[in-house]
Amino acid sequence: MPNTAMKKKVLLMGKSRSGKTSMRSIIFANYIACDTRRLGATINVEHSHVRFLGNLVLNLWDCGGQDTFMENYFTSQRDNIFRNVEVLIYVFDVESRELEKDMHYYQSCLEAILQNAPDAKIFCLVHKMDLVQEDQRDLIFKEREEDLRRLSRPLECACFRTSIWDETLYKAWSSIVYQLIPNVQQLEMNLGNFARIIEADEVLLFERATFLVISDYQCKEQRDVHRFETISNIIQQFKLSCSKLAASFQSMEVRNSNFAAFIDIFTSNTYVMVVMSDPSIPSAATLINIRNARKHFEKLERVDGPKRSLLMR
Amino acid sequence: MANMDSDSRHLLIPEGDHEINPGPMNIQFDSSDIRSKRPFYIEPTNIVSVNDVIQRVSDHASAMNKRIHYYSRLTAPADRALIAPDHVVPAPEECYVYSPLGSAYKLQCYTEGYGKNTSLVTIFMIWNTMLGTSILSIPWGIKQAGFTTGMCVIMLMGLLTLYCCYRVVKSRSMISSVDTTTWEYPDVCRYYFGSFGQWSSLLFSLVSLIGAMIVYWVLMSNFLFNTGKFIFNFIHHINDTDSIPSTNDSNPVICPSARSGGHPDNSSVIFYASNSELQQFEKWWNKSKTVPFYLIGLLLPLLNFKSPSFFSKFNILGTVSVLYLIFLVTWKAIRLGFHLEFHWFMPTEFFVPEIRFQFPQLTGVLTLAFFIHNCIITLLKNNKNQENNVRDLSIAYMLVTLTYLYIGVLVFASFPSPPLSKDCIEQNFLDNFPSSDILSFIARIFLLFQMMTVYPLLGYLARVQLLGHVFGDVYPSIFHVLIFNLFIVGAGVIMACFYPNIGGIIRYSGAACGLAFVFIYPSLIYIISLHQEDRLTWPKLIFHVFIIILGLANLIVQFFM
Repeated sequence: MPNTAMKKKVLLMGKSRSGKTSMRSIIFANYIACDTRRLGATINVEHSHVRFLGNLVLNLWDCGGQDTFMENYFTSQRDNIFRNVEVLIYVFDVESRELEKDMHYYQSCLEAILQNAPDAKIFCLVHKMDLVQEDQRDLIFKEREEDLRRLSRPLECACFRTSIWDETLYKAWSSIVYQLIPNVQQLEMNLGNFARIIEADEVLLFERATFLVISDYQCKEQRDVHRFETISNIIQQFKLSCSKLAASFQSMEVRNSNFAAFIDIFTSNTYVMVVMSDPSIPSAATLINIRNARKHFEKLERVDGPKRSLLMR
Repeated sequence: MANMDSDSRHLLIPEGDHEINPGPMNIQFDSSDIRSKRPFYIEPTNIVSVNDVIQRVSDHASAMNKRIHYYSRLTAPADRALIAPDHVVPAPEECYVYSPLGSAYKLQCYTEGYGKNTSLVTIFMIWNTMLGTSILSIPWGIKQAGFTTGMCVIMLMGLLTLYCCYRVVKSRSMISSVDTTTWEYPDVCRYYFGSFGQWSSLLFSLVSLIGAMIVYWVLMSNFLFNTGKFIFNFIHHINDTDSIPSTNDSNPVICPSARSGGHPDNSSVIFYASNSELQQFEKWWNKSKTVPFYLIGLLLPLLNFKSPSFFSKFNILGTVSVLYLIFLVTWKAIRLGFHLEFHWFMPTEFFVPEIRFQFPQLTGVLTLAFFIHNCIITLLKNNKNQENNVRDLSIAYMLVTLTYLYIGVLVFASFPSPPLSKDCIEQNFLDNFPSSDILSFIARIFLLFQMMTVYPLLGYLARVQLLGHVFGDVYPSIFHVLIFNLFIVGAGVIMACFYPNIGGIIRYSGAACGLAFVFIYPSLIYIISLHQEDRLTWPKLIFHVFIIILGLANLIVQFFM
């Protein structure tokens, strides 16, 4: 059923050089072209043509240029930028020396959101935390979080601390994606049932474009806490290699004497990963199970109907 | 999700059954940018045992490794944006290389600095590179400036050029957006000033190189002439008592320029009317008319070589020459004793005033004497402890200043002033010793050999820079190279014939190329980078503009002296 609503936006905003381009590149496995390492601010909104959770389009926008030209342009284009925004992700550089200015720009964005898209979800990322000494990170983040919560009233914002050099970036975006899925608890319940039925050790549900983990069910306690991000990085790398050959990644089976893992397309916007520790179960059996489950989950998505299901095409 | 902080921070959880370490293999690492290749890690495969959980590498390390692999696929290799910064990757001592069979070993040669030179070696290399032929002109420079002024000027110029050199070394660290690890100073100039910066730095670099090569030609003709004369006189047992005023003792010092000067000629002119052999010799072996041309046959073929790496093996000759000069000067000073009188403003018959207005001639010479700015970054790159760079640079500069002061002061002070005037000190102080003097003969031979080996290297550098930038190819064809070499050699020959004053050549070319690399570029780039970061304050601006004005004044005033 075609979606007659306009494309919804995910707005990734922040001061220039706060790390948005790197973030987008890492999460969406885009190449950073060399010329985007510009020294000046973005004049136009950068549209990324990645479909994200179905019908969401990611827009990048530099906030807070140094001159009045940027300010004027921002105010005149405001309605255009903030219309149809589903999600606002605002990136703060923890090393920034102009806290007042940062907060000022953040507040102007919030005003625009209030006017144009008051239902949008707001997430604040305090980025580049690796540059802060380890023992001070919690403290600094708590301070910032309080300030941001206070400034955002009456809107509500969720804050995360991130750095591209540890797992916090992945976790933050996973949490964001998790909150954007309307029927996620139901999904998790069904995923758990599915896992128990097929006797899998672990079943993961990934978002298709970014391989962020939406949901995860484990029968046994897994040892490696970094495994989600690692799997995502491995597959994103593999996707990059495939794209060089103009091929697209579809599915993967990894097997040895200890386990068998299957990664496959699931619904129109998700991938599933099934880990079986009983190697005696033939692959064909698991693949059939996955195929049958697919039909069920797709029905689950459609059952939620045309009203604001983000997983709809 | 589980608490990450419970992760062990150690990268390698040691296991009991390591294989006997066979020792590090001979892995060569390209030292140009080690950072972009870290960490070295091959995942261990579970070939060995099935059920025990042999933890080879901690999860944290494995995750970081995968992250870095992934990020490296997202950008071009030259883009520094997604290269792991130092505080994120473990220290080099904690990095292991894994073989697929599971054993792990540390690399012995993997040190944090890009190089393995200790501070001592780095300091020595800087000292060695900076001490050049301008050492021969320092006594003359002191004479031109006056003794006290000369000493003060040497120390002040040393400090000033040291500060500018410090600015050069720090210039790359102000550029945060691009990877500058392989950059030399002309690249920094190009970054700030575009292609104007590139071409102007090329031009000034060429000025210094060609100036040096002309000086070398003049000196080589000089030394070759004196050597030939010594050998001829030695063979034919001629006592060389020319009509030049000199001291009459076992350590003769001569005053060659007085022959054409206004000094009354008291000694008798000896005619060798009947000695046609000597006349022939003097006709065919003349310092400014014939010897420069003989050198062409010797050196022009050497210039045409594609790669002069053979000549760089003779680098040690430079150090030996300097050390020998120090010994020579000390010996002569001991023999001649000190002759110093302090007259502050008025020149006397034998002495020069302490303060003279020709001191800019000394600053011009010193600009070239303290010049190392176009290659200091490369020299310091190989320092093992990079944080000591500034300290080592300062120590090297101090040693160079001391060397110059030592030689300059000793030669000046020991110049026998009662019979001769201090004004006689030549632009090449070896000229003040007659060609029959054995010690200076040895010095000339050393220097002659050393210059003959450095000359092709200088020619190679100039050729690479000019032809490389103009034609894109370092060796376009033998004709291009030959024409270029003829031009350089021609310039050298012309100067040797008509203007063999190395002090003059050094001060003009020194002030010209020093203007760009020592005074203007470092200060201007610092001002611009501060301005970009909004950290520019009035004192800093004024101070650095003052340095630029000093550089300009230095050059302009050379033409009025």
